[in-house]
Amino acid sequence: MSEEEKLREIETLQQEHERLAAQFLSRYPEVAERRTTFGLPLKPLYTPLDVADNDYVRDLGFPGGYPLTRGVRPLGYRTKEWTRRQVVGLGTAEETNERLRYLFQQGQTGFSVCGMGYAPYESSDERSLGILGRGGVWIDTLYDIETLFQGIDMEQITINQIGESVAIFAMILSEARRQGIPFANLRGTIQNVVLPGGEGPDLRGNHGVDVVEYCCHHLPRWNHTSVSARDIREQGISSVQEIAIGIYGGVSTIRAALARGIDIDVVAPRLTFFLSAEDEFLEEVAKYRAARRMWARLMRDRFGTKDPRSWLMRFHVQTSAISLTAQQPLQNIIRSTIHALAAVLGGAQSMSVNSFDEVLAIPTEAAAILSLRTQQIILHETDAAAVIDPLGGSYCIEALTNQLEDEAGKLLAHLEAMGGEKAWAYIWEEAHQAGYRRQQAIDRGERAVVGVNCYVMEEEEEKALGLDVGQVFEYDPTWRDKQIARLEKVKRERDAQKLEAAKKRLAEAYKARENIIEPMMEAVQAYLSIGEIVEVLAAVHGLDELEKRHGFYLSFLY
Amino acid sequence: MTEERKIRFLLVADSPGHTTGYYVVARALREAGIEVILGGFQQPSGMVEAAAQEDVDYIGYRIMDREPRIVVSLLMERLKERGLEHAQVVVGGIIPRDDVPKLKAMGVGEVFRPGAKLADIVAYVKGHAPRSAGSA
Repeated sequence: MSEEEKLREIETLQQEHERLAAQFLSRYPEVAERRTTFGLPLKPLYTPLDVADNDYVRDLGFPGGYPLTRGVRPLGYRTKEWTRRQVVGLGTAEETNERLRYLFQQGQTGFSVCGMGYAPYESSDERSLGILGRGGVWIDTLYDIETLFQGIDMEQITINQIGESVAIFAMILSEARRQGIPFANLRGTIQNVVLPGGEGPDLRGNHGVDVVEYCCHHLPRWNHTSVSARDIREQGISSVQEIAIGIYGGVSTIRAALARGIDIDVVAPRLTFFLSAEDEFLEEVAKYRAARRMWARLMRDRFGTKDPRSWLMRFHVQTSAISLTAQQPLQNIIRSTIHALAAVLGGAQSMSVNSFDEVLAIPTEAAAILSLRTQQIILHETDAAAVIDPLGGSYCIEALTNQLEDEAGKLLAHLEAMGGEKAWAYIWEEAHQAGYRRQQAIDRGERAVVGVNCYVMEEEEEKALGLDVGQVFEYDPTWRDKQIARLEKVKRERDAQKLEAAKKRLAEAYKARENIIEPMMEAVQAYLSIGEIVEVLAAVHGLDELEKRHGFYLSFLY
Repeated sequence: MTEERKIRFLLVADSPGHTTGYYVVARALREAGIEVILGGFQQPSGMVEAAAQEDVDYIGYRIMDREPRIVVSLLMERLKERGLEHAQVVVGGIIPRDDVPKLKAMGVGEVFRPGAKLADIVAYVKGHAPRSAGSA
């Protein structure tokens, strides 16, 4: 039989199956229809017909090679495991350092700290009440970063900076310099955001682009950008939107770098992504594959990059938060495990698994360890990481991968046609609508959430069975006093002359729209606090301009 | 003849991130005919300023990042200082169960925790308007 005859035979059988299925399902309308998050029908069965147009070499290829569908490394996790990178951030640098070291001792392999540089004012400001040390670690000055890295070998681990605070970035580099570590040996990632319209003649001085430029010149192993599509995915949007928005962010960053005269094959290999892992397991696995292929095709065929490393979409995954429930919270461990497995089967480079109690507070130490164990069990006990792209070739996964790439391609074209702020406004409107629809579907019982709209249990019963959250993380309000004391100590001990010189240099560089990183390093090394740095910069051109150039976290000011 | 006055609801947040629920609730209230003023991330003093300017019936305080007891007591203090006790405070977000009675003792009307239904939030807001607004 020829290939075509074989396909025709399958077609006949498939039509028969579909006829039977339609007949059967018409009697059970409640199970009849399932759709992907992007609204296309999720079929009850996929066959070779669904992927008949696929060409193995063209569309899948081999891992490590174009079009990267099957993964970015030739030997997958066999030669390089994903980084276990649980997010940490509580109290002052002392408490966070202590938990970090404990997690490293327990097998964590990457550094990721939240809260760094969240607030552009000092700990002593009234605005820090109730948040200092609760929404992550609090950092005032370089002294806090020194404490944060105590007992942690900066050359041995990869350092992830959550958020895009340039002051924090400068502090991390300054600490490495103090320890005598050459920048060429530093490995890490900064989330970084190049805002829409982030570059152009009048926007020179955009600090996000400054970070990119500085990394390209001085930090060959530092990922200058980790485009976050996860934040917006967690509003309730679809997998297609997640891919398209992420890639749109990536393209914007590349364009901004090109406008600064950076070679595309220098900027592209160090651009990474931050993705989510949601409930739709099969779709999620396909999502990572589709995103990887789409990025490779875009970078090679449209942007004409020559270096194969420019084609690689490398990404970190933080498992879903929107799908976790405060009801019967222990079941969140099960949810997060499924999310994490999707990320592993999809070929993630780095991962953070949410803890079961994060629906209520910062995770307790025990909950954080369980999240780390989730990753370790998948890695060491199962065979999920032993085979590269093990779901590749599944009719369903390949069909979904194709659909996702097609749909995301259309959306990307739409976003690019709108451009800049218009595109972001459109994205946010879509996100808000999606979040609302999702909640309505949950309230109406159309979208099942175990423990919330089905298999509901009274809180008393939960507690009696030991299925409640148990010990919740307790916020310690004295952390604020402790932090203020740390800040005062720094202010007493720092060199006043050095301080004034650093302030002056920072203000001048900002005014002249020079790359801000070196002057910022000088400022933090003189132990200026983040609050003082913001004051110095705002004195030059005001807060609005600073927000425009510097990004998101300044909104904490108001 | 007086035109029926819409319920005015100021929605504020304790941080700029974690906005999913914030926008979902805003939309649900608007669709139910409530005038929602998006105050975004604010400090308690800013919230009170906005509440006075907008002459609101409610301040909806979404709390995801800060310690609820600390920031709610601050808000209540500021409201009192400004003579705005008639604006009812309702809280939503990741509030530990044990904090609920404590917040209510401070004067919070209701606390909506994860899993709250939109219809219940809407019904509460419509049914407990502190002034005659919308309650006819």
